[in-house]
Amino acid sequence: MRRIAVAAVMVVVVCLLFWAGWHNMRSRRMAMQQARQTPVTVTGGEDSGPELKLQGKAAPAFTLLDTAGKKVSLADYKGRPVVVNFWATWCGPCKLEMPWFEEFRAKYKAQGIEVLGISDDPEQSKDDILKAANKLGVTYPLLLPDRAVAKSYGGVEYYPETFYVDKNGTVVEETAGAPSKDEMEANIRKMVGAGQ
Amino acid sequence: MRQGAGNREQGTGNREQGTAWLVAALLVGLCCSAGAQSIVGLPSAATGKGHVTFAAEVVEVAAGKPAVVELRFRVDEGFHVNSHTPSSEMLIPTVLKLDVADGVKLLGEEYPKGSAFHLADETLDVYQGEFRVRLRVVVPKGQSMLKGGLRYQACDNAACFPPRTLAINVAVTGK
Repeated sequence: MRRIAVAAVMVVVVCLLFWAGWHNMRSRRMAMQQARQTPVTVTGGEDSGPELKLQGKAAPAFTLLDTAGKKVSLADYKGRPVVVNFWATWCGPCKLEMPWFEEFRAKYKAQGIEVLGISDDPEQSKDDILKAANKLGVTYPLLLPDRAVAKSYGGVEYYPETFYVDKNGTVVEETAGAPSKDEMEANIRKMVGAGQ
Repeated sequence: MRQGAGNREQGTGNREQGTAWLVAALLVGLCCSAGAQSIVGLPSAATGKGHVTFAAEVVEVAAGKPAVVELRFRVDEGFHVNSHTPSSEMLIPTVLKLDVADGVKLLGEEYPKGSAFHLADETLDVYQGEFRVRLRVVVPKGQSMLKGGLRYQACDNAACFPPRTLAINVAVTGK
């Protein structure tokens, strides 16, 4: 009787071992499948994805020095649509989109738009910024870093990050990562058309 | 006599109870082990916020002689970091900075070649996936620590992240 009981226990243990192995293999397969199906983040933030921080809200005010040492305030452009673009000299996607800002600034000149490029890396010197600007053919105002401004815009943690501010000072659109040129123009048109 | 039989019965009962506890413990152990092993396979546990991870390993080399220690890093899928020799001076290179323990000599570092990454009309020199930095060291007998950090700057194809430093701690045993 006791032998039968021991044999039964052994059978149960062997079955459990098989079950554990099967369960483990199944879990691994599911994890692998999940990993394959997870899309690669293209314009995401720190694993949590882009988050709309200021859309529909008033653009935070700031005063910064430009590369010529002149004070520039957002308030200076009251009544005009303004693109506020956070960038860095080591950011490839930023440099990809900056010439497009230059182009649209000229195209929508009649609507009074301005672009303010805020370099957001305190380690970047004014010379680095000017060098990058010259290479890219950028002529719009480039402002020197101040992390407090980035913080007021929700803490810029990846680049580029852009806020489209209408003539009433409201953020009508914001983008994290470089959009396509068409998307950028659509955002500019939305900004120009808003607050009429 | 009856008492003796009673003790035997009690002894058998204790053994059966012991077997039952053993089986229960085994079951719990199996369930826990199955759960723990499944966590190992999850990709999210291995990928960090910084988009680069360091595979720490136990390293053993011959004591007192020049030896090579390889440090293995992995860049998250979909991301890249500049190589040690980026395509532009404006880009931030991947650089390893180490503080070696007393008695350890760092003879040199060898970075791998980068691969080409095309962004619009620009070609970048980057590391993607796994890359290894080779260190030439001389370590004394016993365990020595190599501590430091890997400074890098990561991007995907539409956004970049600020430069970061990944902590490195490697225990090297000289035998």
